[in-house]
Amino acid sequence: MSGIDLAFYALSILAIARGWRVFATDSMVRASFLLLLSFIAVGLIMLLLAAPYLGVATVFMMAVEMMVMALFMVMFMMNPAGLNPMMMVHQHRFSLAAGAVAFVGLAAITLVTEFPVDPVAAGKPVIRDLGTELLGNSMLIFESAGVTLLATMVGSVILSSRSGRFGAADAGSKPPPLVPGGEPAGRVPEEGGGHHHHDHGHSQGDEHQHNPSHGHGQTHGNDGQRGGCHEH
Amino acid sequence: MIGLATFLGVLALLGFGAWWVVALDELVSGRMAGRPLGRIAVRPLQRAAALLAQQQNETERPDLLNWKLAPALYLALAGVGLAVVPFAPGAVLFDREVGIVLWGAVEALTVVVVFLHGWSANSQLAMIGAYRYVAIGLPVMLLSMFLLIAAALPAESLSVPAVVESQRGLWNVLRQPLGLPLFLLLGLSLTLRGPFNYADASDLAGGTSVEVSGASRLVWEIARLAMLVAFAAMASSVFLGGYLGPWLPGPVWLVVKTAVLLALLVTLAHAFARLSPSRMLTLLWTVLMPLAFIDLILAGVEALA
Repeated sequence: MSGIDLAFYALSILAIARGWRVFATDSMVRASFLLLLSFIAVGLIMLLLAAPYLGVATVFMMAVEMMVMALFMVMFMMNPAGLNPMMMVHQHRFSLAAGAVAFVGLAAITLVTEFPVDPVAAGKPVIRDLGTELLGNSMLIFESAGVTLLATMVGSVILSSRSGRFGAADAGSKPPPLVPGGEPAGRVPEEGGGHHHHDHGHSQGDEHQHNPSHGHGQTHGNDGQRGGCHEH
Repeated sequence: MIGLATFLGVLALLGFGAWWVVALDELVSGRMAGRPLGRIAVRPLQRAAALLAQQQNETERPDLLNWKLAPALYLALAGVGLAVVPFAPGAVLFDREVGIVLWGAVEALTVVVVFLHGWSANSQLAMIGAYRYVAIGLPVMLLSMFLLIAAALPAESLSVPAVVESQRGLWNVLRQPLGLPLFLLLGLSLTLRGPFNYADASDLAGGTSVEVSGASRLVWEIARLAMLVAFAAMASSVFLGGYLGPWLPGPVWLVVKTAVLLALLVTLAHAFARLSPSRMLTLLWTVLMPLAFIDLILAGVEALA
């Protein structure tokens, strides 16, 4: 067994083991960077396979991608900063079945396929060839995939960000409880803007020009607070 | 033989460069403040010794693996970055044809490592520093890649030695005047320095390293210095002709150019103040990024002509 074979097996084990840990960890940030480790191992395998550009570019792209993914996941989830432990898997039965089918299918393909033995000749300009392919015959596929991905990203950010064009995206939504069947987690905004008129002149400041005698039945219809009619 | 010499050269440049940056820091800040300079050559070593003797701080339930590894990974990335820089024709550690892409990977992984350093401490200010750094560090990294692609166009290659050789007639700093000034921002951002220090800034009481002390802190600080050295060597190779130059041997030219760029970077870091992150983001995306596009378009037009 040559050094390259050894490196291939070591990197394969690393890639698979880190990929497995992605589903066993309890944090989105850890999951992202475990996946990054897995991809780095795959990128190094590509280096062994005489695909230097694809290998290094995989490391480069996945580093950026996992960083952005961790950031966006934390941004769009209710888990502040990503340090709180959380369950990273769901739909267990379906996932188990899908995983088993995919594994058996892929394993069957590797077993029944006759893979070509076609070593890359030393000195072959692989990077130039790849560039010519990507921006030559395959340009339409390559560019359509790129534009489609970009449109998907923009669309999903628009759909999931809070400050949407048609109002707050989380209007009417409730965060899940911390314990099963409990109260929704997090702070519930007070109804009607959280104003208290029990202490006129102190909590409200001078802008309302309150009557110091605390006129009963007085309303504040003009102070920008919906539902702000209080009796004292 | 050349490989071993280059390896030792990389280590020596990282070590001496780091010391040179601290001495420059003392020199420039002392000059600007009108302070007597004193023994600027010894002080970095004294500070290192003091950190080595200091207690190592602990936090409540940190992600210990990432927290302890981040400084070492940062230092390793500086070494990998310098490995793509040729010291002379043929004297480069990473001699595959994709040096520019590997440098890009180093930039991207640096953002990851700095983020993990702040995130894993389980400390408020460190975490703010980490997230803030990602927001600023990623666009700066993106910007730098456009500049590097522009520099690779006349060479028609992604290998750094080829980019150096393409500057035999004219250095890229003149051929692509927008390139070097914009690329210098990356150096400040990669090493958390001056106006681009959003990770370890004083407004966050030290940011990602607020809880880090002792030997870990020493490695972290050395890694920041070493990364600046690797960056300056890369910038001088891509924009200032690297080892090219008359009379002197190639490695000497590379070291001289790197030292000059380091002096410039340290001065910039002291002369410019940090903007608030939101203003910096606006500046990056609306002004600096389009400038990088223009740089790339001009390089493309020149390559076609």
